[in-house]
Amino acid sequence: MSTASQRVLLVDDEAPARERLRRLLLELGDIEVVGEAANGSEAVRLAGELKPDVCLLDVRMPGMDGLEAARHMALLPTPPAVVFTTAYDTYAIEAFDTQAIGYLLKPVRAEKLQATLQRAARLAGSQLSAIAHVDAARADREPAGRTHVAARLGEQLRLIPVSEVYYFSADQKYTTVRHRHGSELIEDSLRALEEEFATRFVRVHRNALVNIDFLAAVERDAEGQHHVLLRELDERLAVSRRLAGELRERLLR
Amino acid sequence: MNGSDNAEAAPSRPAAPTRGLILPDFCAARAVLAVVLIVTLTAVVLSVARHAAGLSFWLDLARTALFMLWTGLGSAAALCLLRRPLGTMPLPTAVAVAMGAMLTVIALVSAGVLWLGSNAFLGVRASNLLLPEQPWRFFAANLGIGAIVAALALRYFYVAGEWRRNVELQARARVHALQARIRPHFLFNSMNTIAALTRSNAAQAEEAVQDLADLFRANLNEKRSSITLKEELEVARIYQRIEQLRLGERLHVIWDVTDLPMRAQVPGLLMQPLLENAIYHGIEPRQSGGVVTVSGALDGDVIGLTVRNPLPEAGGEAHSGNRIALDNIRERMELLYPGRSSVEASRVGDEYVVRLRFPHVEDPVRTSSL
Repeated sequence: MSTASQRVLLVDDEAPARERLRRLLLELGDIEVVGEAANGSEAVRLAGELKPDVCLLDVRMPGMDGLEAARHMALLPTPPAVVFTTAYDTYAIEAFDTQAIGYLLKPVRAEKLQATLQRAARLAGSQLSAIAHVDAARADREPAGRTHVAARLGEQLRLIPVSEVYYFSADQKYTTVRHRHGSELIEDSLRALEEEFATRFVRVHRNALVNIDFLAAVERDAEGQHHVLLRELDERLAVSRRLAGELRERLLR
Repeated sequence: MNGSDNAEAAPSRPAAPTRGLILPDFCAARAVLAVVLIVTLTAVVLSVARHAAGLSFWLDLARTALFMLWTGLGSAAALCLLRRPLGTMPLPTAVAVAMGAMLTVIALVSAGVLWLGSNAFLGVRASNLLLPEQPWRFFAANLGIGAIVAALALRYFYVAGEWRRNVELQARARVHALQARIRPHFLFNSMNTIAALTRSNAAQAEEAVQDLADLFRANLNEKRSSITLKEELEVARIYQRIEQLRLGERLHVIWDVTDLPMRAQVPGLLMQPLLENAIYHGIEPRQSGGVVTVSGALDGDVIGLTVRNPLPEAGGEAHSGNRIALDNIRERMELLYPGRSSVEASRVGDEYVVRLRFPHVEDPVRTSSL
């Protein structure tokens, strides 16, 4: 590959859409399509592996959508410049973040694609990470929260499906996510997670947030301390006295 | 008067299947003026009719109008207060309550007149001409006339209300028809697919452009409110062909419609919006795609159509619900087949199922005897 060429990752769930973008990029010249993905989590993985300069990211995709993928990508040490592509619903992008490089309307015009890529080339990587951490405003926009949480693993991101998370726990500095395949440190605060996943997780203690789907039972030991038992997991989490009653009620429902 | 602002909002409520008596807002100045006019004219009619009996015409008119204005405005006030409960009661109860209220007002005003007559507090000797002498005849006559006039008025208000409701329903259906038209999302995605195909597969691109043209022609068809079932299914198939290009292997549609009477007249744009919903909500959010089943059967003289699609994958994000298409179909069917059609949507197992039922009607030209 020539050092001057822009390295682009193409993400769209529709094959004809990817095909057309690939052809347009080919005709623009001096651009290398380093990879293609058909959904958000695949896109985040490839973005970490291939370190593209630019990611052309479809907004509406099954599974993880483009907006969430962009948010995860921003956590990468060298995040790509994200350019959203969309057929119609630009309001979602505009609400997402004004600092995204931009968006392209499908069918994409070659001139606009070129102009956007040139703008992306001018921006340094550090400016791009500004897209990250838009937590607060997101909570009410996406009632269900993200589909995945991201943990940094060196240069890469590890995406953990929220549906496989047993619990989040926090000590002074870090938040740990305990999930089906182990545990990882993540950068989200417990408070932000509680807000984002209010419908799916429940606070059992000052420092722990448990996935409601895995709640099995609440029990009390000889000293009067309450514990919560989780399905699939041989661990007991301390429950604060204040929250024990609430939790019991929730289990009965 | 209070309450009139809230009452204005009532017509925008979705039409409930069982509804009470919808009356004009008697709290509003317009309705009060109308009541005054109607009452005065009726008093004139009664006085003119009685003129031959030798009574002084002007005196008769004055006392009749005075009495009727009291009853008319009293009834309007009563109906004004009762408007909201009347709108929610079952129709027979509402009619009984409204009649009861009006007759009570008449009885009270009559009693008041009799009381005045017997006490003669005016200082002037109450003449026979001004106040009635035979209380029970007076009462009975007033209540009799009142009951007839009130019944006629209620009947009139009921018919007028129904007519207005129907006009509103039609207007709303038209608005919804505009809203339910092909999603912009679909149009632009299709354009994108065609843009890709023009280079890679020109023949397929040409086919897609023709399909898109046919689909829009069907959508823009304003004149014909009904088409044959065969035409309707063809529009849905065209829609499927366009989506197939875009979604490829992710979309499978099973058509089980061979038992349907293809010449039956159906409202246009019945199946295509349902198929569009099924794909938009059921297939697109699924990475692995899925199967949409369109099936239909004739049950006696009722046509049943069913569209089923898988639910979004667990953990996946479902597109926010859009019931406009269903509401629109429901409204149009209710206009065409009042009380004889149904649109049901439900979750059955891991599928979302929409069922339509409506009467089988062949070409109205050939079956005009119906």
